[in-house]
Amino acid sequence: MDVIRQHFNGVTGIVERLHALFDTWECGHSFFAGVEPDTIQLLRLAVHEWVANLVQHADFSGEEALITLEITPISGRLRCAIEDNSCGFPFRERIEYQRRTLTPFPERGMGLLLLNAATDIVEYAATGKGSNRLVFTVSSTADSCLDIPFS
Amino acid sequence: MNFPIEQAGQNAVVIRVGASLDFRNASDFKAIVQQQVDTGIRRFILDFSETNVLDSTGLGSIFSLHRNLSSSNGHVMFAAASRPVQVVVQLTRTYKVFRQFSSVEAAVQSLE
Repeated sequence: MDVIRQHFNGVTGIVERLHALFDTWECGHSFFAGVEPDTIQLLRLAVHEWVANLVQHADFSGEEALITLEITPISGRLRCAIEDNSCGFPFRERIEYQRRTLTPFPERGMGLLLLNAATDIVEYAATGKGSNRLVFTVSSTADSCLDIPFS
Repeated sequence: MNFPIEQAGQNAVVIRVGASLDFRNASDFKAIVQQQVDTGIRRFILDFSETNVLDSTGLGSIFSLHRNLSSSNGHVMFAAASRPVQVVVQLTRTYKVFRQFSSVEAAVQSLE
């Protein structure tokens, strides 16, 4: 089974590096053959939102951030795992908090909700090896949405 | 990061969003559109033809502009949305709020 595995050291410029990699993978890389274009975009969005969350909010306890991205195509879906050496946070509670406090036309506080909406199954847990791991799948056939209040 | 602006008729501008509107440059976008609002601009056409990344913070900055305009009958339009932007629009159902145009020209024509 083909797997893309990419390591990132440090968060400086990580978003730029990430999207440069996606641009490369999308342009002629056989890895995404047979995957719907919108599925690839959902993956890109979910990874971006997670990495943005790490850049803006994660506590790496003064250590260099070590982040590993792993992407696996599975029958037209894409499975993604992102492992990092941050201190972690209560993922499900934070999503529920964002959902409860979402106001009409919100300016902030949508990132985890958007990631959750873009993905089919998402799990986050400590690995027991001093790191935390987010795992999710995406598929453009899922037809989920983020219910933002517009009034 | 800058966002090139072109006049598009009375009280209207086209803003070229460029490669990304996200947490890295959303505050710049907010400052630029606020300058336009302060000069009386009430209609904003956002050109997404070159946009690879529109994230939750970028979308939030557009919501902020919308809230700013809603009391003065202004509005925001999306033009030439790239596939990444279309995915975000569909996922968030923001087509219910922001009119979508296939091109900047079509959005400008709608102003007439």
